[in-house]
Amino acid sequence: MIRLRGGRVIDPAHGRDEIADVWIEDGRIVTPPAGGQPAESFDISGKIVMAGAIDIHSHIAGANVNTARLLLPEFHRAHLPRPGATPLTELGWSTIETGRLYAAMGFTTVVEPAVAPHTALHAHLELADTPLIDKAILAVLGNEDFLLALMREKEGLGAVRDYVSSMLSSSRALGVKVINAGAAMAFKHNLRSFGLDDVVPTYGVTSREIVSALQQAVHELGVPHPLHLHCNNLGLAGNVETALETIEAFDGLPIHLAHLQFYSYGTQGKRGFSSAAARLAEAVNAAKNVTIDVGQVMFGQTVTVSSDVLRQFAATKFAHPRKSVIIDGDGNGGGVVPMAYRQSSFTNAVQWAAGLELFLLVENPWRVFFTTDHPNGAPFTSYPELFALLMDRNLRAAWTDRLPKPALAMTTLPSLGREYTLFEIATMTRAAPAKLLGLKDRGHLAQGALADIAVYHDRQDRAEMFRAAHLVFKNGKLVVRDGKVTREIKGKTLHVTPSHDAAIDRKLDRYYEHLYGVPRRSFVVPHEARCFLGEFEQVPCVA
Amino acid sequence: MSAFVFRLKQDPDRRVDLSGLVPEALRGRSDKAITRLPLNTGKLRVGDVFSLRMGDTPQLRFEGGSERFDLVGANMASGEIIVEGSVGEQAGRLMRAGKLHIQGDAGPFAASRLKGGHVEIDGDAGARLGAPLAGEMAGMAGGVVIVHGGVGARAGDRLRRGLIVVGGTSGEDAGSRMIAGTLVLQGKITGTPGRLMRRGTIVLLGADYSPSPTFLDCGSHLLVAASLLAAELERLGVGSARRLRRSVRRLAGDMAVGGKGEIWISSSDLR
Repeated sequence: MIRLRGGRVIDPAHGRDEIADVWIEDGRIVTPPAGGQPAESFDISGKIVMAGAIDIHSHIAGANVNTARLLLPEFHRAHLPRPGATPLTELGWSTIETGRLYAAMGFTTVVEPAVAPHTALHAHLELADTPLIDKAILAVLGNEDFLLALMREKEGLGAVRDYVSSMLSSSRALGVKVINAGAAMAFKHNLRSFGLDDVVPTYGVTSREIVSALQQAVHELGVPHPLHLHCNNLGLAGNVETALETIEAFDGLPIHLAHLQFYSYGTQGKRGFSSAAARLAEAVNAAKNVTIDVGQVMFGQTVTVSSDVLRQFAATKFAHPRKSVIIDGDGNGGGVVPMAYRQSSFTNAVQWAAGLELFLLVENPWRVFFTTDHPNGAPFTSYPELFALLMDRNLRAAWTDRLPKPALAMTTLPSLGREYTLFEIATMTRAAPAKLLGLKDRGHLAQGALADIAVYHDRQDRAEMFRAAHLVFKNGKLVVRDGKVTREIKGKTLHVTPSHDAAIDRKLDRYYEHLYGVPRRSFVVPHEARCFLGEFEQVPCVA
Repeated sequence: MSAFVFRLKQDPDRRVDLSGLVPEALRGRSDKAITRLPLNTGKLRVGDVFSLRMGDTPQLRFEGGSERFDLVGANMASGEIIVEGSVGEQAGRLMRAGKLHIQGDAGPFAASRLKGGHVEIDGDAGARLGAPLAGEMAGMAGGVVIVHGGVGARAGDRLRRGLIVVGGTSGEDAGSRMIAGTLVLQGKITGTPGRLMRRGTIVLLGADYSPSPTFLDCGSHLLVAASLLAAELERLGVGSARRLRRSVRRLAGDMAVGGKGEIWISSSDLR
């Protein structure tokens, strides 16, 4: 039994912000035993106690991420100065480093949000190699021939639902993501732009119909995480109209809009590029079925990794360094384009400001999530700086002073005085993500919860505070002390297994045999081979 | 006035990183502080490998070399380093100014992405002289590299600016993917020099050469630029440069990438 004594416990799931003890036994949080003696006790008076943080959208594994690693060997930290003789564990950007860096910041669960079902095995193998954190993937559907053909043949929503269920089970995913629905397929037919009501050539279905069918299917299957949507027209000036149209189109059922910052652009000003984040935030505030994550841009070198092949193809001409990879593969394909966001760039400054506007203008911290769309807006290691920016308007003012004035004039950021409280930060990074993903055993600190706990120094410098957690417990085991990993343990991989009519599996078997000449089981994440795939944990579907 | 002298005690039992031993890094340090500098390989420190004689000029002399000495003179910005022996990989990488003289052989990636200064190698150099490491977009960006011996494959890969002169035999595909700059090969060549080059000049002096089909023969010329280069090369002590004062055969390419580069051959050498 472990006792964390005298810390300030911030647990938004139960409305708590008080000085209290936290007791841990057998990897769970327990009620203080009457007169019980802990085997180990930590005096953390003056420190902040939160549940382990949850990142709902961070590209940390899978085929595209690996392609990015291969494209950019010079980004590996150990590339300079000693390429040949450094142990692999010291390479930046490796699976091992990913787990350790996340844990050092107090994150204990991370979702890789874009895995094509055909590459799920690869993604799971990488995740199994990522220590300390629990992981999950979202399966990318919405551009593959099988689904679009089902819809063309008007097989009905039941067939789509069975198909989604089958793909979730075979790829061991926690939810479904759809990326620029229909556009990747249209790209193969040489279309270079694609909106909500454009028709996929030869399939006769629109983006709107695909998203709607998947939204419905995910809901009816009882998958806790609502459809995770990457909208059309990412990154284009004036695309706020697309986002607003999307919010309007999919009302009624829950939907999650990913990295909304990249859709908050208007066409004001003489450059025809402005932030429309204020308008968008207003629409999000009004649409109670919508949750968003921001996809904040931070300045510096990064690499964009996306299955939105149409968008990535357009981005190749902005690549820095000037190299990129486009994969026109089955389903979504993808693209890897390195990108340097510069403070002096008008466009990048507007993007940076738009992200912060969304954070500050979406009123309810239960509905806005903390992401940089790692690594697309910035690497996840920039989270601490971002926390500090949200919590301190003076710091924001200091940053905005360095930005081009014409860019700031295209945003409302300088007028926003809101400062996030620790309680709101804890909501956004702990309580709300657990609720959004349907994970009842984490994101809070009540009795019975997993003992995933982060203890921080209460420092004035919030960036410093969140960069190096004082203590981190994973499943009740102390794994981080003052930002240094002290013990490496394995996390689990979370997934759902909804039920469906097995007829769809037989149909899929025939389809693979007929079209690819490869048995479908080659792509199914096997139930055996635990030594390679680590431990899985099933998250129950909602009845 | 004397140079810092690092006498090799015995050949190190592992690769060592000598990038910390450049004149500007030693300035103002005591001999104790210098012998305690790390070599970025386990617990090994400078004092474990070398005995040091302090100096008072921005000059370093290594008495004895080893092919395990990596990154000798890397990032150097001033002064002079002389190695009485051989060195390992990446000697003079990203060097900005000053002089690096290696009296033995150098390993692969010598003068990798050199930005300025003067590198002289008395023996042979390994593969990818002046070249970028994997993933990097451009090679040498300035400075002069003179190798008296031979070089390995792809010397001057992605060369962007500056001058490389090779005395001996050059390995396969010298000047591959050249972006600009000048590569002078005095000895025998192998493979296809200038493969996928975009711009820049490769000068073949005394080479037995059959052009690749993607280089176009533009005939013989008396080029003013050739005599200017000859003057510069003679200043650097390259004797065979006088051949450039006669007419040279000019080949344009590499047409496989729409390149605007050129290969000059002293006419008598064209087969």
